[in-house]
Amino acid sequence: MKKKLIAFMLCLAMVFSMTACGGSDSEDKKEATDNTEAGESESDVDYIKDKGTLVIGITEFEPMDYKDESGEWVGFDADMAKLVAEELGVEAEFVVIDWDTKIMELDSKNIDVVWNGMTLTSEVTSAMECTNAYCNNAQVVVVPEDKKDADLAELTFAVEAGSAGEAAAGEKEYNMNSVASQADALMEVASGTSDAAIIDLLMAGAMIGEGTSYENLIHTEELTTEEYGVGCRKGSDLAEYINGVFETTYGDGRMREIAETYGVQEAIVEQ
Amino acid sequence: MFGAVTLELMKGLWTTIQIFLLTLIFSLPLGLILGVGSAGRWKILKRVIQVFVWIIRGTPLMLQLIIIFYGPGLWLGHNIWSGNEAGRITATVVAFVINYACYFSVIFRGGIEGVPVGQREAGQVLGMTKSQIFFQITLLQMVKRVVPPMSNEIITLVKDTSLARIIAAYELTFAGFSFMKSAGITWPLFYTGVFYLAFIGILTLLFNYIEKKLDYFR
Repeated sequence: MKKKLIAFMLCLAMVFSMTACGGSDSEDKKEATDNTEAGESESDVDYIKDKGTLVIGITEFEPMDYKDESGEWVGFDADMAKLVAEELGVEAEFVVIDWDTKIMELDSKNIDVVWNGMTLTSEVTSAMECTNAYCNNAQVVVVPEDKKDADLAELTFAVEAGSAGEAAAGEKEYNMNSVASQADALMEVASGTSDAAIIDLLMAGAMIGEGTSYENLIHTEELTTEEYGVGCRKGSDLAEYINGVFETTYGDGRMREIAETYGVQEAIVEQ
Repeated sequence: MFGAVTLELMKGLWTTIQIFLLTLIFSLPLGLILGVGSAGRWKILKRVIQVFVWIIRGTPLMLQLIIIFYGPGLWLGHNIWSGNEAGRITATVVAFVINYACYFSVIFRGGIEGVPVGQREAGQVLGMTKSQIFFQITLLQMVKRVVPPMSNEIITLVKDTSLARIIAAYELTFAGFSFMKSAGITWPLFYTGVFYLAFIGILTLLFNYIEKKLDYFR
């Protein structure tokens, strides 16, 4: 009995000493982190130039970022990102990310920018260093055709959690179900688990109607207008750099040219 | 369209298979080591393994994936994974190996403890060394005992690979979702079920075969 007790105490002591080790260890590392962070926040641009690649976090989103027939990433955002990489003298590398974890992707340095038709909300601008707006967008109501004249206040809306659409629905005090993505929101409408959805205008243009699984859905009222920006790590000087590229390419017409390729020239914002 | 979707899902399936195979290759030996350790006589080691298994089995695999992939960059200031496809798959495999080794270790421990003491004693009587007894008597009989619970766990592993989409590893489920997100087409997501069914069908046949092969050990 005594032996067992001693063994147990020894175990406890060991576990505690281990956690103690772990604790001091991570503190050391944290200090090191703070130092490097201070060093790197001085110039994220230099960090990217040094490693030679600009890693661009995207999700498939026509007409901003999507794959053409040869498998290359194209779109208004993709082409603008390639242009910035070219200006930096580095390789552009596109990585498909999960939209929910975009801030962690940035902060953990798995990606360098989020460039994917990102709506500039106060949540986004507080968590990331954002560029100036470069494109206009709106939140629209998507309903089945037979419900297009229904009173919006009586419908239940599916919205993406944390999206501008959710904010718009909240402001108008609509009934809503928060789901994981805009694609899930459309699925809710199609399956009838929600009456309608609120999603991006650009996305609605690409995702509903002929050739999709949502042929009988249409988009109706525009609830709010909004602007797209590019997200960089908090405190990064890359945002300022991209603003510079926006200015020159808007000035010399290259931005408009790219926008026209993808049919979004109406939406671009003067720089 | 059907052809293009199938091709794209095949790409996702290949990643799923990679995660599955690599996880098995590394987690089986690691699980065996942990299992032997926790069935052994060394109390301190037993306790350490118990605490480790408790932590891993006590937290969601999805959370472990997020910690392993984002943790180094977020808390240690140094990202150890490359953000590209290969880096994401590697991180996934590391998380899965740790997780599955813990589940396997418990099954192995049960298998080892299920071999009657008389078997080991018989080995001693015959003058076998400790390692001979372990490899030729205990391990061999353990293998047969653990096949049914292992087949359960391995089949669960196939479907758990779909969790890797949380760190955007382009596996089968992520591939299915991508059509829904980009083109607004929902059927590819449901179509992925066919791939999982086929994969697990093959595995089930394989396990039936193995169980039959080990039948003579009665």
